Amino acid sequence: MKRMHVRTLLTVGIVAAFAGLVALSYVQTAPDPADSQYYLARPLSETGASNRVAGIYLNYRLIDTLLEVLVFSVAVLGVRYYLRKSDNIDLPDLSESEVVQTAVSFLSPLALLLCMFFAIFGHISPGGGFAAGVIAASALLYVAIAYGMTATEARWDPRRLAFAEKAILLSLLIFILVPAFVGKSPLTDLLPKGTPGDLLSSGSILIYNMLIAAKVFIGAWLIIAAFALHRGEL
Amino acid sequence: MAAIVAFILFGIGILALVLRRDLVIKLLALGMINAASILFFISIGDRQGARSPIQLPGDTAILVDPLPQALVLSAIVVNFAILALALVFVMILCERYHSTDSTRIEQEIAREIDEEETPCL
Amino acid sequence: MIARWILLALLPVVAVIALSQSRRLSAIIGMGLFSLLLAAVYLLMHAPDVAITEATIGAALVTAIYVLAIRRTGRLIVVADEVPGLIAREGKQIVGLEYDILVGFAREVGLDLSIQFVPLRRVRWLIDHHEADMGAGGIIPLAVEASNLMPTPQHLASGVYRFEAKSLPRETARIAKIAETAPDYEGYFSDLLTHDRNGTLPTVATSLDLARVLALGRMGAALHGLDRMDGSYGYAFLIAQKRVELQRDYVGYLTRLRDSGQLETLIGRHFS
Repeated sequence: MKRMHVRTLLTVGIVAAFAGLVALSYVQTAPDPADSQYYLARPLSETGASNRVAGIYLNYRLIDTLLEVLVFSVAVLGVRYYLRKSDNIDLPDLSESEVVQTAVSFLSPLALLLCMFFAIFGHISPGGGFAAGVIAASALLYVAIAYGMTATEARWDPRRLAFAEKAILLSLLIFILVPAFVGKSPLTDLLPKGTPGDLLSSGSILIYNMLIAAKVFIGAWLIIAAFALHRGEL
Repeated sequence: MAAIVAFILFGIGILALVLRRDLVIKLLALGMINAASILFFISIGDRQGARSPIQLPGDTAILVDPLPQALVLSAIVVNFAILALALVFVMILCERYHSTDSTRIEQEIAREIDEEETPCL
Repeated sequence: MIARWILLALLPVVAVIALSQSRRLSAIIGMGLFSLLLAAVYLLMHAPDVAITEATIGAALVTAIYVLAIRRTGRLIVVADEVPGLIAREGKQIVGLEYDILVGFAREVGLDLSIQFVPLRRVRWLIDHHEADMGAGGIIPLAVEASNLMPTPQHLASGVYRFEAKSLPRETARIAKIAETAPDYEGYFSDLLTHDRNGTLPTVATSLDLARVLALGRMGAALHGLDRMDGSYGYAFLIAQKRVELQRDYVGYLTRLRDSGQLETLIGRHFS
């Protein structure tokens, strides 16, 4: 047998053995899912959110979500920093044909509508701020593919978007600290909870969803724009 | 059952990470390891005959555990951003050494280390 | 229930197929398909939030980012001036001696070949600015010692021919017409055209290399006073000085071509 084959087989064997061991130990000691009722046991009116998942990551465990948003911002910052020096050769005009442009001109607003639906109704139905932001970024990506990167850059200037991103982050911070002035600890929810299932329910989960959607949209679009500009085309 | 598939995918991801030499494929394998971990998280909350964790008041159905889903939701988006950063580093590496083959890049770096003169001693 | 089992069983299969592709683009698309299947699995496990997020990120954004990233990595970018016989377009294909050499070289170093046709004066600029890897197109490296480009060993001996330009006045209109219909040839005959515009054509003795002279002859220009200049010139490619690895690979490849006689065969095929 050739040496490469021996090495490959040995690697496959070792990894398979380890994976098998882990699977076996999990199957034998897996906890019963019916035991995990910690958050489901709490009444719905505590968070007021119909969407239990949103109630957890935007109310009980808000700090985790905000720190994840911070990690996202740092990653976007890193991508923009390392791709900053783009030698400006003539960017080719790579806009697509009329067919694609027409199709995008009515598909992209649909995607934006979906983003707004997920952001605004994130506490009632599945979705949430993260999905909304990503969908909006891909909507803008379709526009950029159809009309070319230069035209899209003219309307969505990356530097202004970066400024808007920092403004959103700052407003998020201020919104968290507001309860500290009233006398409660930061991160508590001061807005009324309402009846679950209504649009204006669940306190500030609505506001967090919209802020996170905007933040993730700008961040993801800045990443894509940095990649596209570095390559000189989209 | 889904947990076992998650372990299998994790194993496939590690195998691809070790055995393939192209850096871009290695990054794809890292993405697969991410996906396998997330699948495992979702699978431990799933119960027999339960429903999605959307509950209107007055509803008394059994719900799936929402905690693993909440943990994993923001992790997916952050994984994407970190993957983009890793891809930036791969691009910089490729522009520096003009290859995406990891063995060749290692040889180039070893050659550079051999050829440079150590400033001290 | 059945759907969930089928999808779960399909996941490792798609994963193995996607990660064992040899082309990067196939692997990326395979992983996009894997993400979509995974989103369906999440939906069947009663996690709609996660399914939506995974579908959008995995299928749209990750694929877009990877495709943007691999656009230039893994390609051998060659900028060339169009010279019939050496590297030129015929219909949709590219034919020529230099094209054959480049195709073999790219295959050997495992990169995808990508050729762009630019005017001759842009070739050096592009390689200087590291926008392209190699320069081709009937370049005779005469005056490149000043710049930081390194010519490779020549692959085809050529000559530089001097001819009386006063034979051309009737023909320059035709050359200009040809240059209009095939605007890529403009850089190719740009010296002649510039002199023609300045009105100094009758007094200038121009020099062009062998392949271009042959091309002019093929286009019907009659050149009088054709005189071969002394000295040995040869066609070569241009590679930037800093690309030591690429130069080494190319020199090895060319010596192998020459030793095995394949270079002669290729020359004979195009310049018989």
